[in-house]
Formats: sequence, C-alpha cells, structure tokens
Amino acid sequence: MSRARLERVGLTLPLLPTSTVGSFPKLDYVLEARAKFARKEMTRKELDALERQATEFWIEQQEEIGLDVLVDGEQYRGDMVAYFADIMDGFEMGGLVRSYGNRYYHKPIIVGKVKRPGPITVTWWKFAQGLTSKPVKGMLTGPYTIMDWSFNDYYPDRKAACFALATEIRKEVESLVEAGAKIVQIDEPALSVRPEELHFALEAMHIVTDGIPAYFITHICYGAFEFIYPKMLDLPVDNFDLEMSNSGLDLISLFEKDPFTKDLSFGVLDVHSHVIETPTIVRERIEKALQVIQPEALWVDPDCGLKTRAVEEAQGKLRSMVAAVRELRETGISR
Amino acid sequence: MELCLANHSSYPRVGASREQQRLRRAYAQRERGEISPEAFNQVQDSLVAEVIEEQAHAGCELVTDGQIRWYDSISHVAGKLAHVEINGLLRYFDTNFYFRQPVITANVEWREPLVVEEFRYAKRTSVRSVKPVLTGPYTLAIASIRQTPVYGDFSTLVMDLSAVLAREVNALATAGAEVIQVEEPAILQHPQDLPLLQQALTALSEARGSARLALYTYFGDAAPVYEALQELPVQILGFDFTYAPKLPDKIATVGSQKSLGLGLIDGRNTRMETAKDVFPLLEKVLPHVPGEIVYLNPSCGLEYLPRDKAVAKLTLLKELKEAFLQERKG
Repeated sequence: MSRARLERVGLTLPLLPTSTVGSFPKLDYVLEARAKFARKEMTRKELDALERQATEFWIEQQEEIGLDVLVDGEQYRGDMVAYFADIMDGFEMGGLVRSYGNRYYHKPIIVGKVKRPGPITVTWWKFAQGLTSKPVKGMLTGPYTIMDWSFNDYYPDRKAACFALATEIRKEVESLVEAGAKIVQIDEPALSVRPEELHFALEAMHIVTDGIPAYFITHICYGAFEFIYPKMLDLPVDNFDLEMSNSGLDLISLFEKDPFTKDLSFGVLDVHSHVIETPTIVRERIEKALQVIQPEALWVDPDCGLKTRAVEEAQGKLRSMVAAVRELRETGISR
Repeated sequence: MELCLANHSSYPRVGASREQQRLRRAYAQRERGEISPEAFNQVQDSLVAEVIEEQAHAGCELVTDGQIRWYDSISHVAGKLAHVEINGLLRYFDTNFYFRQPVITANVEWREPLVVEEFRYAKRTSVRSVKPVLTGPYTLAIASIRQTPVYGDFSTLVMDLSAVLAREVNALATAGAEVIQVEEPAILQHPQDLPLLQQALTALSEARGSARLALYTYFGDAAPVYEALQELPVQILGFDFTYAPKLPDKIATVGSQKSLGLGLIDGRNTRMETAKDVFPLLEKVLPHVPGEIVYLNPSCGLEYLPRDKAVAKLTLLKELKEAFLQERKG
C-alpha cells in the first residue's frame, strides 16, 4: 500500500529496504568532546566540528555496509527528549530522577508555552543528506513522548501539553520536507504506556503529519502492544518501526489475529545484547515476519537505536542484517 | 479530626549538590569493588537519616525511610525470599522507572528479614513516627515470572507470598510500627482479583498486633472498586486522586468505614497544587471519613520527582493543611 506513497514522494526502494532506528554509538572523541563542552572546556564550534566528523564516519559506514535508507546517527544528540527540550522555548531542565538501579536522568519541565525557536534538526539533516545519494530520514521525537517524559507545570493537562508540542513538531516536519526530506520518522516510544490516552496521541500525530507530502515512520519500543493493537494502526503514518527481537517475536501472534495493515519496519537485531546475530538468525526472523506481512510492506532494521552498543558490535550486527536481506532478495522471497 | 501529614513511601536519593549524590557515587564504587560493604552501608545509613530529617523539616508527621536501600519496590522484597531469582528490567506501571523482575523457581519461603531491620534503623534515627512500607503479595505476584509447576495456579503464589509477608508484618509490629503500609497498585488493573486480595490480606491482618494496616493503591482509578476496597481487612485505605476524578464524589456518596490516606498532591508532576485544587476535595471528603486521623500524603512515592521538587511538595502539603485549618476556623 505505502509503496505508492513512496513513489509519490519520489522514492523507489528495493524489496525489504534496510535501515536503522536512529542513533549510532557515539565515537570516543565525541564522548570526550561532549564531556569537555559540558565542563566549558570546549567551544560549541569545536564540538560541532567533531560531531560533523563523526556524522561523516557513520554515513560512510552505512553506505559501505549497504543500508538502503540512512540516518545521521545522532552524534550531536543526548537524550531523545532532552535534546528537543533543550532547544525549544518553554522548557527548563529539571533535577535528576532515577530510571532504574543507579541510573539517573535530568527530566525536563514544561514551564511556559512551548515554541520551536526555529528549525531544530534541519541543518544536521542537510549536512547528512549532502554526504550521500541514498535517502536520509528526518528524525524527530513525537509530541506524546516529549509530553510523557517531561514534567508539566504550565498546561492544564497532559492532552493540552501534547497538542501544543504537536503543533511545534509539525513545524519541524514542514521544515525538513521543505529542505528535501522524503522520509520522516517520528518516534513515540511512550505511546503504549497509557492505552486510555491513545486517542489523543493519535490526534496529536494527525496534527504533526496531516497533508504533508512525506513518507512517515513511527518507532515504538518496549511497549505493551497488546493493549493498543490494532487501534494503534489508526496512527496517521505509513510505517511502524517496532521492536520485535527483544520481545521474542510475540507481536507476530497479534498480527495473526488482526492483520497488520501498514508497512512494518521489523526489528531483527537485539540492541541490548553484545551477541552479533548471524545472517541465518536474521533471515529466520525475517521469514517469520513474512508469514504475516506482505514482502512489499516489510522493512528490516534493528530493534531500537544502536547507541548502547560498541562501534564494532553495531557494525557487525548491521552487516549480518544486510547479508540476510541480500540472500533473501537473491534466492527469492516467498511467504 | 486530626489531619496527619505523611510521606507516601519512596523519596529521591540524589539531589543537585555533590553531597546529595554520595549514594550514587557509592553505588559506582561498589560496582568497581572500591568500597567495603560496611562503608557502603554507612553511606546508606547517613542518607536515610538525612531524608528522614528532610521530611520532618518539611512538616511530615509520619515519615518513611524513603526506601533509600531499595533497588525497586518489587525486587527489594522478592529478592530476599528463597527460590526467587532476579531477572531483567520491566517498566513499572506507566512510569519511566524500571524494576527488576523476580523469577520464582520453587516454593517461595522466608529466608531473612525483609524490611524490619531497615525500619529499626529508621525508627532509631527519627524524631517523628516512621511508617514502614511493604509491597503487597498481589502486586509482587503479578510482577513475577512463575517458572515452576508449583505455581501453575496464580492464587497459590499470592497466598504463599501472603504468608511470608505476614511474618514481616508481625516483625514490624513487634518492632514498634504503628502504621504499616502495604502497597497494592496492581489490583487496580485486575479488579476481578479483589476476592483473592481479600484472602491474601487476611494473614497480614491477623499478624498486625496493635499496628494499623494501611492498604495503598496508586497509578490507577480506585473509584470503580471503592466499595470492594472498603471490605478489605485493613484499617486505612490510601488513594491516588490524580487518576481518580470521581473518587471524591464516590467517597461522599458511599462514606468510609476506614481511615483514609488522601493522595491529593501529585507525586509524579512538578506543578505545585493550589488551595483551589485541594480545598474543595477536602471539603467534599472529610465529613464522610470516620476516626480521629486522616492522612494527607502525596499520591505516590516521591522518587518520581527531583529532590528539590519532592521537598517542595511536602512543604506545600504542610502549607495547604495550615491554610485549610485556618479557613475552617475563620
């Protein structure tokens, strides 16, 4: 179904397009530079230069590995919500909150009207796209997740905060598309957390994507999909990028019951494991997906961002993934 | 009627200052084997004392130890039982906090004290009354993976956990606890299991001695099951009002046979409530609550907030109470 949509935006992709979820491991010199910048021992300009260098590295890597749809690798981003909260007006960075064990993060607080001061990610997207002839995805965090992962001092309720954010994120989508992005990914990992709020999360996504000529992907992970499926298919996007490997491919049984009606980016690499999957394992996972999804609707990628892996692990995993897909393309794809 | 300012359960263990981050550093040192168990315990002890003092200073009349020693509310309790292994991370309800999931491999059995030693320390340290907190048998069972035929039947696990927790309730009562909080947030997602919870709480109730049992639910709407909760063998019911817009009306209509813990202040958000938010609810509910004490507490543990906001919420609770009493007098 969405092949037509891809063609309308001017993209022809091979069967089983390969991509990644967004982040790549930060290179050592970037980690060091970011720490120095935080300690005010490095200027913004110096940090930018190193982040660009690392972005070049990851674009080259993706081309060399043979991925079809690329990402900029997010060398310049920290937390996926804090990155946007830092730049947008209306946020203040809150104190530390524990996420588990001895892990803490700064949770943003909405303290005023949220506003995009200007394009947030467009310069980075242009830079990355300028390095390759393959399509680079525009990468944004969705309004529901930014709302859910922030405190809200300003808006009367969660829905109001979510809609206000949706209006601003739409502006960023428009800027990306204006700059030439054909594929925009809007990550909503928090989407499945409160099924009773799914209705307004859907509405918010309408605000973000309606009428904009791009192919939209949304990434959702670690969720209780059983509570929001199949209703979540109403989300106005073309492609759902779902974590499948880490959850033991449980979702397949949900799709057997209620057919999956959109394109699916099927996570075939466990991003929390050091183990590099073999092409055979990846191929088996893809074949499982093909039992419930038409080959024309299937994309292949890792479960989630690869930033938690070592550089070599990320490379190794992606090579296996691309090898498995090539093998399938060559030997013929059957359901 | 006395309005008692109470903390809920957990409390942020790090703050903005270097001194307030000493436990975080101690954990990292422990992982690298750079700190002795004794030195690590000392850091925990000092932090428990600090957060107890902080709660008291903010106006709390009933404090907790902040669950400073807990990895999370599930594995801290379950991990001390025999035949329980601790597994990977799972999201805690609809929060952005993750707990480690227990795996039950055979009959769960008591092996060591669960929280009574922690309570004893807190009690010694505190000038205010200390409320120990236990995660309840139903929520522990729901959060666990059953990897043994012994627990093919879910209710058998709930009842075995109940027996183990009853022993701890007894130990806490003997150690001088006046109020023992049992947390059962999971029951709000599974109201069909209320009869099972009733059965499971019976053993805890029989073990409580002269202590009062407080059953706290949160992260869900208690209004639809309010009547059934009133039937449970506990003396206090604690509610999270942030999820339950119709609960004040429900209490006003049905009344209450028990003391109540009113979680009117949102423990999950930094917005500071005003008199306009809170007074109408108090006015609606208070005439229908029997007994001498009503507990005013946050809606849930305060660990979901940064430390500065947690203190601010407790201080706010005190100010609201004073203003409310003043207004009533006037």
